[in-house]
Amino acid sequence: MRDLSERALDAASAAGASYADCRIINSRVQRLTVKNGVVASVEVFEDEGIGIRVIAGGAWGFAGVDDLSPASIEEAARHAVSIAKASSRVNRTPVRLAPAPALVGEFRTPVVRDPFEVSLDDKVNLLMRTDEAMSHLAQIRVRECSLEFGREIKHFASSDGARLDQTIIESGGGMDATATSDDEVQTRSFPNSFGRHQVRAGWEAIEAFDLPGNAGRIAEEAVALLTAAECPAGTMTVILDATQAALQVHESCGHPTELDRVLGHEAAYAGTSFLTPDLLGTFRYGSEQVTMTADSTRAPGLGTFGWDDEGVAAQRSVLVERGLFTGYLSSRETAAAIGQVSNGCMRADGWGRLPIIRMTNINLEPGTSSLEEMIATTEHGVYLETNRSWSIDDRRLNFQFGTQNGWEIVDGKRVRLVRNPIYSGQTPEFWGSCDAVAGPAEWQMFGVVNCGKGQPSQLMHVGHGAAPCRFRNVRVEPAR
Amino acid sequence: MSGEALLDLGDRAVASLSHGEAEVIISETRSELTRFAGNEIHQSVAERFRHVRVRLIDAGRTGVGEVRGHDDRAITLAFEAAEDSRRVTAESDVSPLPAPTPGDGDEPVAFAEATAEATPLGRAELVSIITDAAAAHQVNAYGALSTTTTTTAIVTSAGLRRSATATQASLVAVARGDDGGGYASRHSADIDALDVPGLASEVVDTCERNQGATTIGPGDYEVILSPYAVTDLLEHLAWGGFSALAVQEHRSFMRFGEKLMSDMITIRDDARTNEIFPFPFDDEGVSTRPVTMIDRGVCSAVVYDMPTALHDAIASTGHSLPQPNTWGPLPRHVAMDAGDTPWRDMAASVSRGLYITRFWYVRDVHPLRTVITGMTREGTFLIENGSITRPVKDLRFTQSIVEALASVVQVSRERRLELGEGESGVLSPWLHIGRFSFTS
Repeated sequence: MRDLSERALDAASAAGASYADCRIINSRVQRLTVKNGVVASVEVFEDEGIGIRVIAGGAWGFAGVDDLSPASIEEAARHAVSIAKASSRVNRTPVRLAPAPALVGEFRTPVVRDPFEVSLDDKVNLLMRTDEAMSHLAQIRVRECSLEFGREIKHFASSDGARLDQTIIESGGGMDATATSDDEVQTRSFPNSFGRHQVRAGWEAIEAFDLPGNAGRIAEEAVALLTAAECPAGTMTVILDATQAALQVHESCGHPTELDRVLGHEAAYAGTSFLTPDLLGTFRYGSEQVTMTADSTRAPGLGTFGWDDEGVAAQRSVLVERGLFTGYLSSRETAAAIGQVSNGCMRADGWGRLPIIRMTNINLEPGTSSLEEMIATTEHGVYLETNRSWSIDDRRLNFQFGTQNGWEIVDGKRVRLVRNPIYSGQTPEFWGSCDAVAGPAEWQMFGVVNCGKGQPSQLMHVGHGAAPCRFRNVRVEPAR
Repeated sequence: MSGEALLDLGDRAVASLSHGEAEVIISETRSELTRFAGNEIHQSVAERFRHVRVRLIDAGRTGVGEVRGHDDRAITLAFEAAEDSRRVTAESDVSPLPAPTPGDGDEPVAFAEATAEATPLGRAELVSIITDAAAAHQVNAYGALSTTTTTTAIVTSAGLRRSATATQASLVAVARGDDGGGYASRHSADIDALDVPGLASEVVDTCERNQGATTIGPGDYEVILSPYAVTDLLEHLAWGGFSALAVQEHRSFMRFGEKLMSDMITIRDDARTNEIFPFPFDDEGVSTRPVTMIDRGVCSAVVYDMPTALHDAIASTGHSLPQPNTWGPLPRHVAMDAGDTPWRDMAASVSRGLYITRFWYVRDVHPLRTVITGMTREGTFLIENGSITRPVKDLRFTQSIVEALASVVQVSRERRLELGEGESGVLSPWLHIGRFSFTS
C-alpha cells in the first residue's frame, strides 16, 4: 500500500497540490440473516480503493477510485487537483488548517477471537437457535435475527509525512420479534433496535450478547404489547434505559457539537446547531448530573481507532462538564476557524467519500444512581426501553422520540406495561431536568450503525456509552 | 465500460458456472458532486467504481457475494464469496430466477450526454449562479450539485440479459439570512435542463420572505404543502404500505377495496414516465410495470418482486431490490396525480392556515396507523384571509398520512420532481389539506 500512496501524493504534488493526503482501504463485511426459520441471506462484501484529498489554489478537491493500478491512481490525483482548481474560481477564502503533528504508527482493534475465524456454520447455528427460541408464540408474525462482521485495513499517508496503518474489526448482532393482531403491530428488539448492536471487538462480543438466551423473553414482550394499555399522557418523570439514553446523546449532544454544522458546512442538508461558538464555556446545556465526552480511545465503541482520517490521534475531550457546554467535535480546518487544534473527529464512509466531522464515542459519563433506585424514588412516571422512532429539528433543539415499550411507575414501583410511548422536549431544558444517572455498573457502550450526514450521503458507525438516567417534567403521550 | 461490455463480462461469468443457477449484476458508477456553503465551494468530490454482485442458487440453497474494486479479480472473488455463503444456508423455498420476457427492452431510460460529460468547472459555474444571486441579496447560499452516471447489466443462467445506462443531475440549495432561510431543489436526467436561475430566484425569494418569523402555537391547522413536503408523505407510504411483503406480514395500512383517502388522491408508481428518472427493470431484471396503488382514494394494489409474487401466485410487477432480502419490494418511481387548481390560487380559500415549504427528519411513529413525526424547515408561513401574510417559526407535526390525505381539499395542477430521503424520485403536487396536527 505504501508504494501506491507515495505515487498518489507525488502525482498530486506534481499537479499543483499544496497539501495532499490519501487513504487506501481494503474492507470485508460478512452479513447473515435468518428470518422465520429460514436462512434469508448470507452475504459477503469485499471492497478496495483509494481516496485522494488535496488542496490546490486554496480549495479542496477529492477523488476516489476502485482501480489501484498506478495509472489509475495518478489520474485520480490529477482529477482531485483539477476539482480543487475549479472550486478555487468561486472561492474567496483559502483553506487554512490547524497544525497537527505528522504521525507514524500502527493500530489494531483488540479482539479475543477474530470473527472471521469463526465458521459460517457456527454463525448460522447461533442464529437458528435464536430464531427457534422466538418461534413458540402464534402471534409472532415475523422473526428476524442477524449477525454482521467487518474488517477494514486502512493506510493513511499525507504530504506532511504522516504514515498510519490501522486494522479495525467490528462484530454485531441482534433480533427483532414482530407480533400482529387485527389492529396492532408491535416489535421488540434485543440488544438494540434496528437490527443489531455492534461494537469494535471480536466474536466474544457476540457470545456476551447471549442472543438465544434472550429470544424467548423478547418474543413474549412483543406479544404482551399487543394488548397492553396505551401509554399515559401528561407531564411526568421519564427514566430512559441505556439504549435510548445513547440515542438521546447521539441526537442532542453528538450532532450539535459537530463544528462543521456550527460553521454552516452542513446547512443545506443535516442542518446547523444551537451550540454557537459564543456559548462555548458559558452555556448551561444540562444539569450538574450531565457530563458528556468524546472519547475515541474507549473500547469497544464504534468510534474507537488509532487516528482519524486526517491523521490526528485518538483522544478524549469533554463536551459537557457537569452541565456546562465546553467543547466541540472538530477537524483541522474547522478547529482553525475558532483558534483551536483538531480533536480528531474526521471520518469517512470508505475510500470513496471525503472525510467530514463525525462522532467518535460520544458518552454520557456514569453517575452515582441505579435504575432500581431511580424507579423506587419516582412517584409517577414511565420507564422507557429501546428506541422505535426518533426525530429532531435541524438545530438539534426540538426532539420527539418513541420507544418500543414502557413501564408505568406509580409510587416507586413498575405497575404495568404500556405501549406506543413517545416523549418530546427541547434539548437544554430536557438535559437540565436530568436528576440522576446510573453508575458504572449499569453503564454500557452501544453503537449507532446508520448515522447519516454529508452530501453525497455517508453512513457512519459511531459509539455511545450510556447508563439509565432520569428526567423530570417531560411531556409524554401515546402515538395516536 | 458500455452496457454491452458489462453484459459480455456477465456472460463470461455465467458461462463459467459448473452447476446450479447464477445471477450476475455488474454496475459501473461515476459520481461527482460540488458542494457549497456561505457562497463558496467547500467540498467537491468525484468517485468512480465498479460493483459486482453474484447470486448463486443450487440444491435449494442461495448465496450472495458482492465486490467493489479488486480489478479483474472482482468477478472471481464475488463467485467465491457467493459459494462460501451458499454452502452454509439451509435448503428452503428458493425464489426462482425470472425468465426473460419477450418485448423487454423498449422502455425509456433517463439519460443525457450533458450529465455524463459534466465537469467540475461546469458545475462550479452553475453553482456560481446561485451564490451570486444570494450575495446580491445579502444572504448566503448552501447546497450541492451532483451528476451521476450508472451503467447496470444483469445476466442470469436463465437467459435474462439486460443493461441500461442512466444519468441524474440534482441540485439542492438553502439560502440563509440573519434570521431565517429558504429551500429549493431541481432534479433531471439532463444537467442542461436544470432551471438554475429559477432555483436561485426561488430560494432567495423564500429566504427573504422568511426573515423574522414569530412563534405560533401548536394545534390543528389547515395547510398547503409544497411538493417538497408532499414527497415525504408519499415516500413514507411507499416504505411502509405499498409493498406486497408488508401486506403479507400484516404490517401495511392497505385494505384493498376500501376508500381511505379523498377521491382526489391517486398514487401510482411508473418507472416508464420521463418525468421520474425512467428505468426499465428492477434488481431481478424484471420490467417494472406501472402500478396504481391508490385509485381515487381507494386502496387498489401493491408492488411485487419475485418472492412475494410467488407467495400470491401472480406475476412480479418488477419492483425488486437485490435478492435475497428481507425488506420486500419497493416502489421507486412514485407519483401523485395532478389536480386542477393552479398552486398559486390554492391559498385563496384558506381563512387561517399554514403554508409549508418542506419537512425535515420525518420518521415513522406508528407504521400501521401511518403516523409520522417531523419538523417544518426553511419556509413556514401563516395564511390569513386567503393570502400568505408572514413567516412563523418551525413546528413539529405528528400526523397520520392516511388521515391527512383523507382531508385533502385541493390538488394542484402543477407537479415537481423531488428526491425523497431514500433518494428515489417522487413526483408531487401541492396539496391543500383540511387538517394537519402540529404538536410543538
